[in-house]
Amino acid sequence: MYSAQITRANPTCLILLVDQSRSMADALPGDAGIRKADFVADVVNHTLHDLVIRCTKTEEVRNYYFVSVIGYGRTVGSALTGLLADRASAPIAEIAEYPMRIETRLKRVPDGAGGIVEMPVRFPVWLYPVADGGTPMCQAFTRAKTILEQWLREHPRGFPPTVLHLTDGESGDGDPTTIAREIMSLATDDGQMLLFNCHVSSRRGPKIEYPATDWSLSDGFARTLYEMSSQLPDNFIAAAQQLGVAVEAGARGFVFNADPSSVVQFYEIGTSLTGMTPHIWMDA
Amino acid sequence: MFRVWQLQVNQFLLPKEGAQVSECEDAIGVNAAAGRFAVADGATEAFDARSWARQLAHGWVATEPPLLTREAFGAWVAEQGSVLHDAWQGRVLSWYAEEKARRGSFAAFVGVQFELGNGTPRWTAIALGDSCLIQRRGALVCRALPVADHQQFTSTPLLVPSLGGLQESTLAQARVESGAVESADVFWLLSDAAAEWFLRHAAEADGVLDRLDNLLATGQAEELASLFQRERRTRRIKDDDVAVVRIVVTGS
Repeated sequence: MYSAQITRANPTCLILLVDQSRSMADALPGDAGIRKADFVADVVNHTLHDLVIRCTKTEEVRNYYFVSVIGYGRTVGSALTGLLADRASAPIAEIAEYPMRIETRLKRVPDGAGGIVEMPVRFPVWLYPVADGGTPMCQAFTRAKTILEQWLREHPRGFPPTVLHLTDGESGDGDPTTIAREIMSLATDDGQMLLFNCHVSSRRGPKIEYPATDWSLSDGFARTLYEMSSQLPDNFIAAAQQLGVAVEAGARGFVFNADPSSVVQFYEIGTSLTGMTPHIWMDA
Repeated sequence: MFRVWQLQVNQFLLPKEGAQVSECEDAIGVNAAAGRFAVADGATEAFDARSWARQLAHGWVATEPPLLTREAFGAWVAEQGSVLHDAWQGRVLSWYAEEKARRGSFAAFVGVQFELGNGTPRWTAIALGDSCLIQRRGALVCRALPVADHQQFTSTPLLVPSLGGLQESTLAQARVESGAVESADVFWLLSDAAAEWFLRHAAEADGVLDRLDNLLATGQAEELASLFQRERRTRRIKDDDVAVVRIVVTGS
């Protein structure tokens, strides 16, 4: 299970579910005062950037992934804009071609003589920070389920789709457990759908990363998210360990009270798929 | 005592299933007159990996004097990396191709030089990554480098980088080895998938390598392609580009 080779003929699907409710305008814990919505939008943009680069072979982007970014807050729907806005799921090559805009940022790179220099690089932006409205989590999961059911009809034998869900609070439209379990019960020949959850808070609280049991979870909402998180397959565990995250067998794809570095790692682990370098597992 | 030594060389290149030869990122360099041969395997995810692999394999065998120390190889790779990156200048690239180019290109490399003149005939090889040199005497594998066992192949080999800032620490880990040559020894240069496959069949002594040897010796390219395609379908070899060079050394 979870060993299907990801190729252009046998791609996989990735859904990023992003909480864009009003409370995402609050700052992350810490002195920097960064708004959660700003930080998460930046991490999602980096994640899409890295996925594109991973699929790029010289000048061609190969469609190993189809990607959806669903935002939920005042509305529920694609958080992508322009030509991608109406697509339930877009091939990664189209994600590459149609960012909302391309910014110039400074990047620190080796100067070739042992030093570091800052050089301007083009950085695409797909996702605007949004913080508005309530938290219609159940509606967002329902939207994701519709996309997944369509995907599975067309790709019954590929690497199972992955849903990475980030939220800062409890659902505002009911208990999401049932719809989340329905999603987790969907499967390809290679295994059940993977649903991973990351919770960010404005309050500084004890961080819980990838627990294998719910013993340490005193918070009811934390237990709900734990229950609706898939176990990390072995190759994801290996990816987490490569990042220096202590993860044991049976761990769930779940982080509670994530700090900024945990949010970044959550997306890195969630998109690592086989945990191997792309040139090995993307064969054609 | 043999006085005259000869090299008989055969080579074979096969792209991944469904790919064109022009997409193959393995490269073979042959300079039979100089007794120098190389295989390079461009990393698929790298920018312009085919060019980098070809530049390494073709350039290494053509360079005089031969590049058989880490220092000489490192200095030469630095020059070659600059040439490759200069060739990209002026190209109008998308943001993602530009990012990819910024990270440079990567390739596994193995090269061997035979010294068959005065004295005891010898070979010297330099290798970085998982493209391999295998010396076979009869059915016995006498030497294999830099990977000696089919179970030791990994998904993250060290590769020769085109980017200057990455070269010093990486190239310091290049393997340089030498050994003696006996008449009728057969040397193989193989890119990673073929090397892993070769070493596993050598361990199993199942006769497949004799068939490979025979098909190469008699130049049956279509049969060779069929052999590898069958092995791919049965998953006995990874679906990757295949580069094979067979060098038979005979004394008379």
